[in-house]
Amino acid sequence: MNQPNLFNQPNGITLSEFNSRIERTLNGDTQLFNQWVIAETSDLRLNRSGHCYTELIEKDARGETVAKMGAAIWAGNYSKLYNKFLKATGQVLATGMKVLVNVSVSYHRLYGMKVVINDIDPSYTMGDMERQRQEILNRLKAEGIIDMNKQLPFPQVPQRIAIISAEGAAGYGDFMNQLLGNPYGLQFYTCLFNAVMQGAQTVPTVLAALDRINAHQELFDCVVIIRGGGATSELNSFDNYDLAANVAQFPLPVIVGIGHERDVTVLDYVAGKRVKTPTAAAEWLILQGTNALAHLNELQDAVVTAVRDTVSQAREHLAYFTSMIPATARRIIDTNRIRLDNNAKNIPVAANGLIANQRTRLNHAVERIGDVIAVAMQRERQRLQALEDKATLLSPDNTLKRGYALVRKGDKCVTAADQVHSGDQITVQFAVGTTDATVN
Amino acid sequence: MEENNEMTYTQAVTELEQLVQKMQDPQCSIDNLSAYTKRCKELLDICRKKLTAADEQLKQVLATIQQS
Repeated sequence: MNQPNLFNQPNGITLSEFNSRIERTLNGDTQLFNQWVIAETSDLRLNRSGHCYTELIEKDARGETVAKMGAAIWAGNYSKLYNKFLKATGQVLATGMKVLVNVSVSYHRLYGMKVVINDIDPSYTMGDMERQRQEILNRLKAEGIIDMNKQLPFPQVPQRIAIISAEGAAGYGDFMNQLLGNPYGLQFYTCLFNAVMQGAQTVPTVLAALDRINAHQELFDCVVIIRGGGATSELNSFDNYDLAANVAQFPLPVIVGIGHERDVTVLDYVAGKRVKTPTAAAEWLILQGTNALAHLNELQDAVVTAVRDTVSQAREHLAYFTSMIPATARRIIDTNRIRLDNNAKNIPVAANGLIANQRTRLNHAVERIGDVIAVAMQRERQRLQALEDKATLLSPDNTLKRGYALVRKGDKCVTAADQVHSGDQITVQFAVGTTDATVN
Repeated sequence: MEENNEMTYTQAVTELEQLVQKMQDPQCSIDNLSAYTKRCKELLDICRKKLTAADEQLKQVLATIQQS
């Protein structure tokens, strides 16, 4: 065995020199450049500069990951490949897709090895993970249970929380710190039901925890299933039919916060509420509480406003009626004054009318009197004429004219011979003239 | 009317909402105002207490379940 020589140059080379050899070796192999590779994407994400990073994985028939390689699509190429993939498949390039990619090896002495994706063949079908997930979802849909948990009503303020998580896990700690440290004084009552949150034990331990919660369901408002984020390939255990079916049909609403936004498992589809992280789950619960507190403040304000409004309305009513009294009195007086004035104005008109009326009647009467008098005069005139005629007929003149004579003795008419005696002086009157005579 | 200490948050807040609605009605009589306001205050206290005051008994029960 060689002893290190403390005084001479060491027998090794520097790591950077060694890494440079790797770099040269890799760069010298043309088979490692522009090679089409079949793989599955996992934990695909974009950074702020627009570069896309993903894990390329390969699984065997039992679903165990047998190969893994970090990969990058540089920003300049990413938007082109993103659009090409979207246009061809109708889907966004994401985690859990089986892809055919053209890659070149890239080695950096500090950052190690990865592959750079130059191109993607979108005609290659979706990955096994996504297809399997789709199969589970289709089955849940077909059985009519996929939306059952989503349709459960959350209590107005979920305060009694059954938690399924791994004791001591960062995600659980984050959740508890966030929830119990809320600055609003909101009370939450938590109870942890321990489970393994990754690997093969995930499904049986989570199912067991759900069973225990079910036995105490009257003590809880909801269930929270949380774990910290991680590579998507580690979330595969949550894409499980039994687990999804159990959560979907669970009698309490379930909140799931088991990964990051880009990782969507079957559990996320069936849970009553899906959030990205344990912290977000706590934030959502706190938000329900602060909403409720805000609502109470609103109601309190509404009470104050309602009291103030009702009182001021009553006061306004009163003021209105008070102000109405003089106006009403004035209106009544005015109305009557107008009526009085109108009546006064009408007196001469009415009087004139009456007088004119009576005058007309009088004139008519006068006219009638004239008529009556004329008729009476006419009648009298005719009567007089008749009398005159008769008088004329009976007058002595007319008799005398016919040859008769009137004999008088003194002043008296002689109508019989024995009224005169011989020697009496008589007067004989003729129609024309008179003669004195002496009786023999 | 429910016994105050047996009310749930939902029951209390529901009664509170109904009462506020009554008070906001223009037909609300000024004669009822005092009684309504008093009840609203009681309900607000119940609701706030449900949200922020600790129920030690419940904490104890849950601690027992978690340890089992």
